Amino acid sequence: MGSTPPLVSLHRANLGYGDAAVLENVDLELHAGDLIAIAGPNGSGKTTLFRTILGFLPILNGTLTRHCALSEFGYVPQSTALDSTFPITAREVVEMGGYGRLKPYQGLPSDERNRLESVLQQVGLSHLARRLFFSLSGGQRQRMLIARALMVGPKILILDEPLAGCDPESQKAISDLLIDLSQQEGKAVFFSSHDLRMVRSVAKKILRADGGRVSWEEGVVAGHPW
Amino acid sequence: MSFFDVLSPSFLLFPALLGSAILAFVCPLVGAHLMLRRRIFLGLTLPQIAACGVAFTFWLSHGAGVSHGTGGERLLAMVGSLVFTLVGMGLLAYLDRHATGSPESRLAAAYAFASALTILFVVFNPAGELEILNLLKGEVISLSKEELKLLAIVYGAVYFGLVLFRREFLLNSFDRDLSFLLTGGSVQWSFWLYVLCGFSIAIGVIMAGPLLVFGFMVLPPLAARSLARGMSSFLSLSSLIGLFIAIFGFYLSVRLDLPLGPTDVAFGCAVIFMVYAIQLIVRKSRGLAGLLAALLIVGFGCSAQKAPAPLDLQALGQNTVWLAPVRNSTGTDLRLPGTNPLRSLGEIAGKIAPDYRPTVMDLLRGSVKRELEQRRIAVSFPEERDARLQSFPFEAGSAATNARAANLSGWLLLSDIRRWNTDGRAPLSTRVEMRLVRIDNGAISWDKQFQKVVPIVGAARLDEASADAVKEILREMFGS
Repeated sequence: MGSTPPLVSLHRANLGYGDAAVLENVDLELHAGDLIAIAGPNGSGKTTLFRTILGFLPILNGTLTRHCALSEFGYVPQSTALDSTFPITAREVVEMGGYGRLKPYQGLPSDERNRLESVLQQVGLSHLARRLFFSLSGGQRQRMLIARALMVGPKILILDEPLAGCDPESQKAISDLLIDLSQQEGKAVFFSSHDLRMVRSVAKKILRADGGRVSWEEGVVAGHPW
Repeated sequence: MSFFDVLSPSFLLFPALLGSAILAFVCPLVGAHLMLRRRIFLGLTLPQIAACGVAFTFWLSHGAGVSHGTGGERLLAMVGSLVFTLVGMGLLAYLDRHATGSPESRLAAAYAFASALTILFVVFNPAGELEILNLLKGEVISLSKEELKLLAIVYGAVYFGLVLFRREFLLNSFDRDLSFLLTGGSVQWSFWLYVLCGFSIAIGVIMAGPLLVFGFMVLPPLAARSLARGMSSFLSLSSLIGLFIAIFGFYLSVRLDLPLGPTDVAFGCAVIFMVYAIQLIVRKSRGLAGLLAALLIVGFGCSAQKAPAPLDLQALGQNTVWLAPVRNSTGTDLRLPGTNPLRSLGEIAGKIAPDYRPTVMDLLRGSVKRELEQRRIAVSFPEERDARLQSFPFEAGSAATNARAANLSGWLLLSDIRRWNTDGRAPLSTRVEMRLVRIDNGAISWDKQFQKVVPIVGAARLDEASADAVKEILREMFGS
């Protein structure tokens, strides 16, 4: 692990809902520049781990330490978790990432507009900004949600199944983006997937969740399978 | 009455139009947020709970001796509406967090319970029946200036809150997790949104009734949903469509003499169908859409009929006009109060027995007779020629046959009062139909319907308001 204090650390942590632990004895540290994946079957506790780190769920046992504010977390939910009845444009979705910095009565200032354009370019979808969000393909929606998370100006990006439901081209674009964010911008990137083969080709470090426990598996950034 | 007459600030019912426009502009914003949160049934259940609060308060205040129709009772009802709404909302929120089962089924059960209780409270308190029925029909027609002011203040505050915290409410509705991360808590924004909803529903229900409030919450956002290209346009369009429904619904209600609440809701549904139909056609062909839009505009233009011409006195010639006894189709006796000057004059002239009470029908027929005589038209009452002619059917052919059987000739003027009512607080609302029939062939040479609404405020009593309404009718009848 790095010499600087970790942005997030979990020590002998039990995570779950109510009194029922889904994951036990979790030890984890997230540092700037990390690119970590958690892989495991559905129901293995990947989302529970994310929700606990983000403060949505209380920790059951052990310790959880954050060395950055919650507003410095960029969270990318699965786009299917959002309500598709909203007649919302992609631009409006991305803009939401900047809401934490704006006062209620304030319009969108020029530096926020510039940041908006910049993150849209970063995910390569500026041309789709005015389209309705739910009219985009699954991969495009996922990239827009990553743009929204980048709009926050995060130190840590947490992505829940960012590659699920994406076509191969979008999967490649997203995984390239995650590698860039980690390597070029020094952001800690922590994402989940149930596809171990794909995870091995992207992440530097891999956590495997199964049977209520997590364990480390070392990996390297290798040639993409696509 | 033309469309622009209805919109004119000098129109008697302008405060009611203003009231429904305020409701229609703000309620869709509230409804849009509930719709986005998939809690639109709250918009149905909460107004019913508010109505239950009103019925409960009327019942309670009746028991406590507060007289019916007073300002104190109205204020208590407002408090009842607000308390029931906020308590109901709190209870539903608590159950959402702690109970099992679907929220929809809880809302349905709450709606059924509130409806049943409303009816029971009305049954317990017969004095409140009229008020509650008006409430359920959506009668904003009787809004006073003070109530309008209160509505404007409360809805202004709700609108201001929804616009000021638009981003926070939107984020909280769309993605509560992100709202938690960026604003430090999602519960507070849900709480404030529901408080704004509660206030707008509680005050809206007491002013306009649950039907109108729910209609304005649901229908405009539903129509806007398919047209909107983003959240800003969705919210703005919802309000604008609400305003459109309120203005044209109001016009239709006045024009066709229909209760406002159901008219607005039915028209709102028609707007939704129209929007979907136009969209469907746009997808098929842009040219066809243009044609449909043109037809709608032309159709609307045609529907704004000109007022029928006044009675053509020249056409009457030298023939006598027989004024048939005015029919009363209202179901009430329409007797005027005992101190009416008509009675005194009649008694002085020895024509009226002391126990006789004049009616609105007498007032109307006497006034028409006087007007015609002033214009040098020969006028008579048929029963003075033949005592058997105490009434005539309103159907022209039969009426003319009866007149010919009694050897009458010339013209027969038939009048029928279809509505002449007030609850003592709302304006006097009247509808009278008249037709002039040629006795020799039963042909109708003039036919007109008069709708007049007269304020009770300026008139001290019902007989004065009735006299004002008759004057209005005569003014339109003779075109002066």
